[in-house]
Amino acid sequence: MLEDTLRVQTIYIVATASESTLRQRSTFPKHTPPTDSNASATEDAPKKVIKSVFTSAEKTNSLIALAGLTALAIISRFYKINEPDEVVFDEVHFGKFASYYLRGSYFFDVHPPLAKMMLAAMGYFIGYDGHFLFDNIGDKYNDNNVPYIGLRALPAFLGAMTVPLVYMTMREAGFPILTCALAAFFVIFDNMLVTQTRLILLDSMLVFFMMCSIYSYVRFYKTRNNPFTLKWWSWMIATGVSIALTTSVKMVGLFTVATIGVAVIWDLWELLDIRRRLTMQQFMNHFYARAIGLILIPVVVYLFWFYVHFAILTNSGPGDDFMSTEFQETLKGNTMADGIFVKYGDNITIRHKDTSVYLHSHEHNYPLRYDDGRISSAGQQVTGYSHEDPNNLWQIYSDNVENTKIGKQVKDKDVIRLLHVATSSWLLAHDVASPTMTTNEEITTYSINEDGSRFNETTFQIILESGGDKLRTMASNFKLLHQSTKVAIWTHAHKLPDWGFEQQEINGNKNLVQKSNLWLSDNIEGKNASEIDQESSKAVKTRSFILKFLELQGKMISHNAGLTDSHPYQSSPIEWPFLVKGISFWTENETRKQIYLVGNPLGMWIAVASLAVIIGVSGADLLSRRRGFYPLNQDVQKRFYYATGFFFIGWIFHYIPFFLMGRALFLHHYMPALVFSYMVLAAVHGFIFIEGVDGPISDAGPETRPRQLQRAVVPVIAYASGIILMAIHLGSFLFFAPLSYGTSAPSVAGLARRKFLPQWDYHFAK
Amino acid sequence: MYTSENIKRRNPVGSSFSRDQGHQQQQDDHHYNSQNENQNRASADPYGPNPLKPAFQQQQQHQQQHQSSVAAYGYRDHYQFGYAPPRKEYSANKYIRFYQENDYILIPTLLTLVSFWTRFRDIKSSDYVVWDEAHFGKFGSFYIKGDFYFDVHPPLGKMLVGLSGALAGYDGTFGFDSGAKYPDINYGFMRIFNAFFGAIMVPLAYWTSQELRMSQAACIFAAVLVLFDNAYLTISRFILLDSMLLAATCFVFFCLTRFRNERHDPFSLDWWLWLAMTGVAIGLVSSIKWVGLFVTALVGLNTIEELWDLFGDLSLPKTTYVKHWVARAACLIALPFSVYVASFALHFAILRNSGPGDAQMSSLFQAGLNGNDFRNNPLYVAYGSKVTIKNTGYGGGLLHSHVQTFPEGSGQQQVTCYHHKDNNNNWVIKNVKSEEVPEDAGSPRILRNGNLIRLGHEQTNRSLHSHRIKAPVTSAQWEVSGYGDDTTNDANDEWVIEVVDENSHHPKDGQLRSLSTTFRLRHRVLGCLLTAENVNLPQWGFRQIEVTCDTRNRTNSPHSIWNIEQHWNDNLPAGEGNLYKSKFWKDFWHLNVAMMTSNNALIPDPDKEDVLASNPSQWPLLAVGLRMCGWGDDAVKFYLLGNPIVWWGGTLSLGVFALTVCYYIVRRQRKFQDVTPMEWDQFLSAGKLLVGGWFLHYIPFCIMGRVTYLHHYFPALYFSLLLFSFVIDHFVNRPGVSRKVRNVVWAVAFTAVTFTFLFFWDVSYGIRGPAAETMTSRQWRGAWNIIDDHKPNTFI
Repeated sequence: MLEDTLRVQTIYIVATASESTLRQRSTFPKHTPPTDSNASATEDAPKKVIKSVFTSAEKTNSLIALAGLTALAIISRFYKINEPDEVVFDEVHFGKFASYYLRGSYFFDVHPPLAKMMLAAMGYFIGYDGHFLFDNIGDKYNDNNVPYIGLRALPAFLGAMTVPLVYMTMREAGFPILTCALAAFFVIFDNMLVTQTRLILLDSMLVFFMMCSIYSYVRFYKTRNNPFTLKWWSWMIATGVSIALTTSVKMVGLFTVATIGVAVIWDLWELLDIRRRLTMQQFMNHFYARAIGLILIPVVVYLFWFYVHFAILTNSGPGDDFMSTEFQETLKGNTMADGIFVKYGDNITIRHKDTSVYLHSHEHNYPLRYDDGRISSAGQQVTGYSHEDPNNLWQIYSDNVENTKIGKQVKDKDVIRLLHVATSSWLLAHDVASPTMTTNEEITTYSINEDGSRFNETTFQIILESGGDKLRTMASNFKLLHQSTKVAIWTHAHKLPDWGFEQQEINGNKNLVQKSNLWLSDNIEGKNASEIDQESSKAVKTRSFILKFLELQGKMISHNAGLTDSHPYQSSPIEWPFLVKGISFWTENETRKQIYLVGNPLGMWIAVASLAVIIGVSGADLLSRRRGFYPLNQDVQKRFYYATGFFFIGWIFHYIPFFLMGRALFLHHYMPALVFSYMVLAAVHGFIFIEGVDGPISDAGPETRPRQLQRAVVPVIAYASGIILMAIHLGSFLFFAPLSYGTSAPSVAGLARRKFLPQWDYHFAK
Repeated sequence: MYTSENIKRRNPVGSSFSRDQGHQQQQDDHHYNSQNENQNRASADPYGPNPLKPAFQQQQQHQQQHQSSVAAYGYRDHYQFGYAPPRKEYSANKYIRFYQENDYILIPTLLTLVSFWTRFRDIKSSDYVVWDEAHFGKFGSFYIKGDFYFDVHPPLGKMLVGLSGALAGYDGTFGFDSGAKYPDINYGFMRIFNAFFGAIMVPLAYWTSQELRMSQAACIFAAVLVLFDNAYLTISRFILLDSMLLAATCFVFFCLTRFRNERHDPFSLDWWLWLAMTGVAIGLVSSIKWVGLFVTALVGLNTIEELWDLFGDLSLPKTTYVKHWVARAACLIALPFSVYVASFALHFAILRNSGPGDAQMSSLFQAGLNGNDFRNNPLYVAYGSKVTIKNTGYGGGLLHSHVQTFPEGSGQQQVTCYHHKDNNNNWVIKNVKSEEVPEDAGSPRILRNGNLIRLGHEQTNRSLHSHRIKAPVTSAQWEVSGYGDDTTNDANDEWVIEVVDENSHHPKDGQLRSLSTTFRLRHRVLGCLLTAENVNLPQWGFRQIEVTCDTRNRTNSPHSIWNIEQHWNDNLPAGEGNLYKSKFWKDFWHLNVAMMTSNNALIPDPDKEDVLASNPSQWPLLAVGLRMCGWGDDAVKFYLLGNPIVWWGGTLSLGVFALTVCYYIVRRQRKFQDVTPMEWDQFLSAGKLLVGGWFLHYIPFCIMGRVTYLHHYFPALYFSLLLFSFVIDHFVNRPGVSRKVRNVVWAVAFTAVTFTFLFFWDVSYGIRGPAAETMTSRQWRGAWNIIDDHKPNTFI
């Protein structure tokens, strides 16, 4: 409320009363005191509204710089793009997925579809038919007749285009040409960005769209004084579409959404301020406009790509097994259609969904006493067996003794009994601890010849989790819930000792919601689909897009979280900014060549230092302002927090969330954050060496008060230090270039010199 | 609060201060012009905004303006600083008048008496060892007997259990086996001793609410919430640490709020008293369980906020500011730390005898315990000796192996570090094949610096072995395994002894002595060092410590340095005590690291379903209860379950508070004054403490990988209960709310809590007879296993 106005006044008084004692930035022009709240001070100021702070000569210079940097970017990305003519690292996945699109066969991946479809489209345009499956790292492209250069050209081009976007974003944010060029230069000559964007991978698209989002948002923010104009709408929608495209490449795009989201919320909060004199209706208009442009449109765009995804992938393929039965039935050539309805009296096999073992029993009993001294029931063993065997057959009965249901179909929630055919005994669960898990119940069988006193222990309810309400082979996943003790029949990849023939343990699980409780019946003895099955039609079914989307999205998320298997090249986020560890992408034994993903070490370490400077400067500024001392000129301070701070927030949001992720992480996950850190680096360089700022840079609106032109002073030392930084960065880039491009092999001694940190384990270092 | 009056009070020189001080500041820091300030002060309206003062001081002034209007509401009828409490109108009836004059003492007394009654009544109803009494009763016994034991919790709570046993005349001989019937010991007294701590939570809640400036009805309600929560009641009535932990947490929070209310009068006697009390209290709570660190964090955050506020007070002399820092450092860091250390000093002083926890400690410490026979070890270690080998790192264990194999890597026999003594820790020192020296050539050959040895595991005959295979957890280092035997062995079984230090009065001759000599074991082929770094193996390794061969050659790391602990060799004479005493600080630190390591090992086993464990997401809405004992029909059964109304209300109030704050903030941005600045400040500062306390006691459990139980939520619950009362208080004491509505709301709240408590009476005081017959109506949520043990795990 009142406080801000008061503080501004205070600054004014401070600035005039003790201007001569301001040591830090004493060279500022006299007009530095803020003018927006103090009407008397602006009385003398020119009433001219400034269109642009930059002269036409400056604009030409900027264009020349932009063109030069773009050319460098293209050269760096396309240099010897034909080498190696072999599958490199994750081209194994993404090349393969592009092929599947071209074939139209359904596949499953944890990432949204856009980037892979772009690759496929590229392949389509250059006449690639998707015949190659990119199975192993090192498979030869030329031998397999794959137009890989064309496929790589797309990511390389977008990787190169990221550079002019970085330049223009910085420029739009009001930084001098030197600063913008510095940021772009660092992005061009970073080894990780080069390596990762010239191969058939997704990160190039990700970073490109991410920069599109940031660029559009900066343009949008600059039009804020003219709300609801065409320009305002255009840039806002461009922002919305860009964040949607980013997210459609990888879910990491959500970090970009968060970055922009924070900026938008802050902006709205400012608009809500009573001193902005917006009525509630006007404020809500602002709110709804943003809801449409930055939420609704992005959601539609994101869904659109999934729609295209499903429209292309109409054939059954390697991704079928990830999906539900209903989903698979929508694909041409799916196996679900072969399912037969199971009837009472049928002899069926029952297979565990996760571990693919059959429910099995044989004429051997549990040992009376286990190694740990516990006693068992010594009943017949029930195990999980992975091969086909007559002992896997179970005859299905209903729970009434007269068996009146024979010949009828088994339905969901039916209570059944299972008779082991080979030994004529009923499957049974009871309150005895299982062989290896004391918390779970033992599963055994009980002979048909004994009296019926244990009838209640042999009844199980069949609960279908998918595939309709009747039990069907292949199609229905079900749980077997023991009626009297409420446990589900369950198995896990744990082998029994010798007495159990190293087959898998089967027991009764008290946790009924676990996914691993699911079983399916894969066969009925003596029947097959072509013979009897009139009920099931071979026709491909349809399913609403939204259901398909929700299922796929859920699977993507759960699968992504499940990628926890450790990988020799995985690293933890804390190591990334310091580049503790690299990733070996590709090696060739004869020539001793290697592609080793590692950033430009000197550049990245300078970037980390600049991030530390940001924290230090803002901390010092905060403390001194708390003591009533304002060390930064107001415009410099504003630029520092609004522009540099925004990039810093971008870095935070694209980096910190990785610490909360449980999955295996890799160095290349740092790429988006790395681009932000280079922008921060350039901005910090400007903060240190360049006096003042160019301004105003935002469009003036009808209510904008006249503002005075301010120009940044770029001293020689700024150019000198900038050139030194670029030289260091370029030198470091060239030094590591052989490992980034994989075009020539350094000697053993050469590799030893390139081993800056102990964990950079080059393959041919010995 | 730093009003101008207060500044004057602190600086008797009065107005002359600001001029002198101001000039100095201007020269130092380019502060604003003090003349300006003085002019402004002189000329401006005393309540008018002063543009030269920081914003928050403006607000303070603003508040003063509004104080009188707040007082005019008249509902805050208890002590409040800054203005005199409104005068009470006393009744003519002398009894009522007596009550009115003395309610500040009568109400808490009455609450405390009821609390004692609920906590103490029928406390001996179960004459068997219930739930974790098995642990803590046993630990108490160790103090009575003086046997050294090891546990993951700091010692204070268990020493108090020991004290209660001693007072009850218990001699420490009972084993406290789970479910065992108590023999002839006064367990009732021990339980009452514990229940006392649970009971004093009630008056503490009352007084804390007062310090948070709640109305009298709200203070009573907060106390009643604590009083009638079944979970607090149940957990307090057994020999456990939780009642002490809870009482100490409540006490810390009480001290904190009390201290906050002294902030207008810094460095006064009361200010010092409550600051010091806060310090002592956090020392006590941290010495009971490490969970106490969460409330310590709350105190820490509050301190940072206070110091930040003071930092912005430009009128505060720098020396005074430094004094604020020093006072807090002394009282909130040094003092708690001393209390914590003192509890360990007492722990070591009481436990003088060798006991089950020996192996957790360094060899020298163990040698100093009564009943330990290390002193009789033969002094010099020779080829053919049987030894146990101890890691000298803090928290280090004994080199261990067992028949189980690595499930990955080489698949050979596991080698680990283990903290308990068993025969699998025994190793035999053998010579290597390449050196043709007979092992029993008359006199044994003494080991020296640089000797090559092979270490044979006594039980399995495998040799200590390493190779170029990645270690299972620390994959940057090589795996260490047990491989081969006396006939099949290779160069990868050979280790070089490097003597590091000889803590002995004997000459430094490079000979290996048991206990006193420390040494490294370097792999001859790989050149790496045998290392154990407090990294727990997964479940397949029984969560023992991983042993690796470290290639980094960190020769100074204590985790790569070992000593011989026990030593048997029939051919050598027994040693005669030659020992340095271990140092207290080393032992203290060693024990703390060991506690940390064991705590980290308590992570859930994915293969086993633990029916007692629960997930943090289940707690706030009470989706889970906990059976504290066997569920036989004849047994008196206790079910740890909160009062649902209390728990749900507490959780709901968190949401209501957050929404209310958002509402007010948005409205303030539009210049609507829903509450006076004074009320807003009060609402926010009390709410901040309560929500912060809840958050700090709850969220860490969601993050940490450790196995969690329902009772871990209890400290967090306390904050949500106070917030529950606080939020109701805020809404019923609004200007638009009539007295009638207010009374009805309170009546409903009190009744609901009381009746739910009575309804769940048996759950806390013991279910007698088959649970299914009597408890069906108490089964409010599907996942509670009061009756049926086969309920699915549900979240939230």
